[in-house]
Amino acid sequence: MERITNTQSFGPGRNVTNNYGKTVALNNKTITVIETDGEDNQIKQWLSPLEPRHKHQSVQTSRMDGVGGWLLKTNEFREWSGSEGMPKHTVMFCYGHPGVGKTCIRLVRKSSRASGYH
Amino acid sequence: MYQVSEKVISSKWISLTPTNISSLVIDSLCNQFRDRDVAVAGLYCDYLSREEQSTTNMLGAILKQLLERDGIPDPIRQAFHQGKRVLGGRAVRLSDLVEMLETTISSLREVFICIDGLDECHPTNRRELLESLREIVRASPAVRVFVTGRPHVRDEIKRYFTEAITIAVIPTTEDIRRYLKMRLDRDPTPGAMDDDLRAEIMRIIPGEFSPMWVDQPT
Repeated sequence: MERITNTQSFGPGRNVTNNYGKTVALNNKTITVIETDGEDNQIKQWLSPLEPRHKHQSVQTSRMDGVGGWLLKTNEFREWSGSEGMPKHTVMFCYGHPGVGKTCIRLVRKSSRASGYH
Repeated sequence: MYQVSEKVISSKWISLTPTNISSLVIDSLCNQFRDRDVAVAGLYCDYLSREEQSTTNMLGAILKQLLERDGIPDPIRQAFHQGKRVLGGRAVRLSDLVEMLETTISSLREVFICIDGLDECHPTNRRELLESLREIVRASPAVRVFVTGRPHVRDEIKRYFTEAITIAVIPTTEDIRRYLKMRLDRDPTPGAMDDDLRAEIMRIIPGEFSPMWVDQPT
């Protein structure tokens, strides 16, 4: 059974029990549709119409396993996220260039020419 | 005869961006604290959604996520009903949101707020967001904040959070190798590739990048 919910949080096992679920059958699959007229949903909509979870899910899908894992292993990250006592640093800022790809792409061309492949 | 370079270059290095780091961090925190009284909220700033991403909407989105564990408390429900009584309904106010966030966070043992691409916010909203976050961090020892962005917002963050730890998000040689391997494995026309060429790509390309991108975190 496939469950489509608009109240699911980022983390696994964080599904929220919702009282407005309605089960319907579609293309031989049973899908739970969450109606959006419940008061809880109205309040959430009032707090913000943004749904960062959607973006998170699409990034999660495009992300490659393991890439960037070095960050999670740094002493800085471990100390910041650590569970023993409060860390020295409350805020962690990671900076980089989202445009890094273009530079890399140009170099791929250059390197393949340099090695004699055309 | 050789066409693979076109296929490699046709794709952006989507796996190596700060946004992917943000999503990795969110997932890692969720897994790390799965069974504990810890809440993780994420926010992805987007240049194209600037209008919709007002300061109140951004903070409201964080609050919504923190409420998912224990449901909506009565004071927030009351504020919503009071707002509804005003003609046309009243939008939630920034000062109220900050207060709601502080109260919600105080009921949780630990809270992580992850904000991706802070530089993509409108500058006015970014200042308001940072001010609000500073207020929340000061009031709530249980909260920790993770932010990504382009280097130019670093000084701004340092102004609001002098103690912030900063780290450069740059692909390591290993990241590049892994990415290349994935791209080559997914090559839709594997006939154009042979083992020697593959080995050469894997040897030359990571070498080209390593001196440029592998840097010490500051």
